[in-house]
Amino acid sequence: MTQQIVHSRLAGREAAAGETPPDVRFIRVPSIAERKLGPDYTAPMRLDPRVLDKMQTTIRKLESKYGEALSAQVSMLQLLVEPAAKGDTEARGRLYALAHDMRGLAGTFGFPVAGRFANSLCIYLEKCLEEDWRDGSVIRLHIDAIREAVDNPGTDPALTMETLNALERLIAANGARWKDAG
Amino acid sequence: MAESVFGKISVLVVDDSAYMRHLLMTLLQAAGVGDVHLAINGEEAWDVLTSREPDIVITDAAMVPGDGFMFAKRLRSLRGRALGMIPIIMVSGHTDLESVERARDIGVTEFLSKPISPRALYERLIQVIDRPRAFVETPTYRGPDRRRRHAPFEGVDRRGSVAML
Repeated sequence: MTQQIVHSRLAGREAAAGETPPDVRFIRVPSIAERKLGPDYTAPMRLDPRVLDKMQTTIRKLESKYGEALSAQVSMLQLLVEPAAKGDTEARGRLYALAHDMRGLAGTFGFPVAGRFANSLCIYLEKCLEEDWRDGSVIRLHIDAIREAVDNPGTDPALTMETLNALERLIAANGARWKDAG
Repeated sequence: MAESVFGKISVLVVDDSAYMRHLLMTLLQAAGVGDVHLAINGEEAWDVLTSREPDIVITDAAMVPGDGFMFAKRLRSLRGRALGMIPIIMVSGHTDLESVERARDIGVTEFLSKPISPRALYERLIQVIDRPRAFVETPTYRGPDRRRRHAPFEGVDRRGSVAML
């Protein structure tokens, strides 16, 4: 599959006097298109609008289904806050997993604001301490914001940004405490 | 041409989110990819990788057990086999510089940030299918050439490297 084209003696660092630099090899890898198509291959491959259109249509078809699933996931988040605050590790794991899913998927399916709030929640959960879980207030604020974004997608973007900034400031304010806790 | 290439390739999708696996699989199928394999974490992905030998791997970064970084590192450690050089597209919600550089330095070919868009995925696929970068092997790095542009070096050639090239 591969053909070696250069076998140099370049070091990844400065070589000391008298020291032989370690080997660096550059290997030419034939393109997958070239390998799969053989003589039919004609470079370069370009973005085909028909293929892109098919992919975008697929997303649109999945959007309505995802909207329903997202609403159910937000309800689940609201249910998980209390057991998570009481120390239920499974509930904490599920809460994070749901937020992580939303962070990755909501934007793709037309809920970018919910996705951004979910992203902020994930960042908070990745850093927060036991006392933050037990308090739960920042988590609740995030979930309320996600619920609002899902139920009222037409909310004034300025208001959304203000809420997001406020949540980010809240997280940043905890930074020093988390750092001290190691 | 694009459709015919996609029809001939196989892709391994690794993600612990069922929604994300479904999304990626559906998008790949819409693009015409004939053969899509799924795995839920790095451990399962390893079995699929070695038994199916796909042409491309698309992996999430954050997974338990065996995250995408560990999986990519293990894959790149396969010396002496073409399988160790297959393109890896890493999908991640963590788009901070540290994560992107970490991915680059373990040999990830392309980085795709969440939320993913059909266009971004399609462009990354074209990149790895048709525009491969040279593969580099050093004692400390194994993966695609991290330089995407070949700008002439204008500093002092202290190692004599420029002259050698």
